[in-house]
Amino acid sequence: MESWKNRGSFLDLMGGKISVLPSSVSGPERLPEGWAETHATTILAFHFSGGVLVAGDRRATAGNRIMTNRVEKVLEIDGSSLMAIAGSPAFALEMARVLEHSFKYYRRSQLTELSVEGKLRMLSQLLKDNVPMAMQGFGAVVPLFVTQDSEAHKPQIFFYDILGAHFEGVPFAVAGSGSVEVQGILRYLDRWGSPVRGLADLPETQAVVLALRLLETASFFDSATGGVQVRETVFPVVKILGRDGVRTISETDLGEYYRAEVDIV
Amino acid sequence: MNITARRSILFDEPYRWVEAVAQRREYIEEQIRRSSPVIAASVTEGIVYFTFYKRIPKVYEIYDGIAMGSIGHPADIESIRMLLLNAAHLEGYQRSPKDVTLNRLLLFSLSPKLKNAFEEVGSSPMLVRSIFAETGGTVKSDRLMAVDFDGNVEEGSGTLSIAGSSSSRERIQSVLFRRLDHPTTLQEALPVLLDAYMAGVYDDTELGQDSGGNVIDPSMKEQALRRLFEENTQNACLLDRQKGSLVPVSLTFLNKEVAH
Repeated sequence: MESWKNRGSFLDLMGGKISVLPSSVSGPERLPEGWAETHATTILAFHFSGGVLVAGDRRATAGNRIMTNRVEKVLEIDGSSLMAIAGSPAFALEMARVLEHSFKYYRRSQLTELSVEGKLRMLSQLLKDNVPMAMQGFGAVVPLFVTQDSEAHKPQIFFYDILGAHFEGVPFAVAGSGSVEVQGILRYLDRWGSPVRGLADLPETQAVVLALRLLETASFFDSATGGVQVRETVFPVVKILGRDGVRTISETDLGEYYRAEVDIV
Repeated sequence: MNITARRSILFDEPYRWVEAVAQRREYIEEQIRRSSPVIAASVTEGIVYFTFYKRIPKVYEIYDGIAMGSIGHPADIESIRMLLLNAAHLEGYQRSPKDVTLNRLLLFSLSPKLKNAFEEVGSSPMLVRSIFAETGGTVKSDRLMAVDFDGNVEEGSGTLSIAGSSSSRERIQSVLFRRLDHPTTLQEALPVLLDAYMAGVYDDTELGQDSGGNVIDPSMKEQALRRLFEENTQNACLLDRQKGSLVPVSLTFLNKEVAH
């Protein structure tokens, strides 16, 4: 019997032509001397009253060099999924592009949304394919994935290890070199925070301000995390996944929040 | 006689090939003659597709801001749908979503394939006629293109329709030309599209009007409308200008308005 051709798999359609994906690249046995890979940090996601907030700073570094302060680490994959990337942007951004096309191709060809489990496994597969590169010391990607069922409208946060295992982050998840401080603060606020105890009850304004303060704190301790650069109007990327889908907080709003609640307080 | 022998005769005798192609055209047009029409119109919110179906939906999303609506055999519709889906997603991934355009998909991918299939008289024909839509930033920059079973491409401005017969299509286009203003909103366009669709499906007697379009018996049109909604499934979708995806549009209010 002929194999099932139209199963909505973008990877099958590509037929191994994704030349930039790590699985199809044979890496060197060791890193060249003096070579430093580009890395992206810090990303965070937490539940609040309006859904899930996902934020990331804008810095990418290679060793002690700042490559750029304008990289976007929080990416909209489809109308109901966000991916935040820490680690190698080269491979992480490619994974995001593969996921974006895979989810859309599945929805358009099968006339239904891919399940949440299906989306999680697809990212797992890409990370597993990347393990040989990560084990050689470069190309490691540690993403956060936030998604919701198209009917239940209940966003969930998932974090991955570099081998592709995924876990649900309740009520928050973090990744990247600046995440240690952020993780401690989020745990503290969720357990004993004031005036609102429990991140899930935070109103949107307070949630956005909290994200800006967390990233500012991370940048204070971690040189690989970029802080807010008001003069150049480079703000972190903050996106919200709520009942109505994905929404991006504008730089104008972030600027106002930053000046009023982060910079002068 | 096997296919190779038949092809050999056809190529040896040009007249027989021309005759075979003409017969093929007649055969295809007869096969799709009773198909439910599909209408597409640019509105301020995007591009609206309007049709009804009995068995399977007729309107599909192809890529960001690109959609198709087809009549014909379901297997052939599926065949060209997957051809375009695959081409669009490969191009969008390998280059950029901005490089996926209706023009490139139709002129360099679909149209030659349909022409070959139509003229390959030894093989089964593709029974499919389609309207493709691509949203631009404004109504003026929207694109509407119809592709016939022989690969012919026609571009429309503001509205475009396909139907099983040329007379049905002419009646639809006549209503659209007389009554649809440009630019218009989705809510304003839907009643006109419904009237155009009904003009394509029912004759004057069934709609209770004379040949000049003057209403003689309004109850006839109400009966026709009731039958349309009872015997078919509504299939109206908006190719949303902002989102770039197809969003279902409910037509139930049009039926209720008449019922009240």
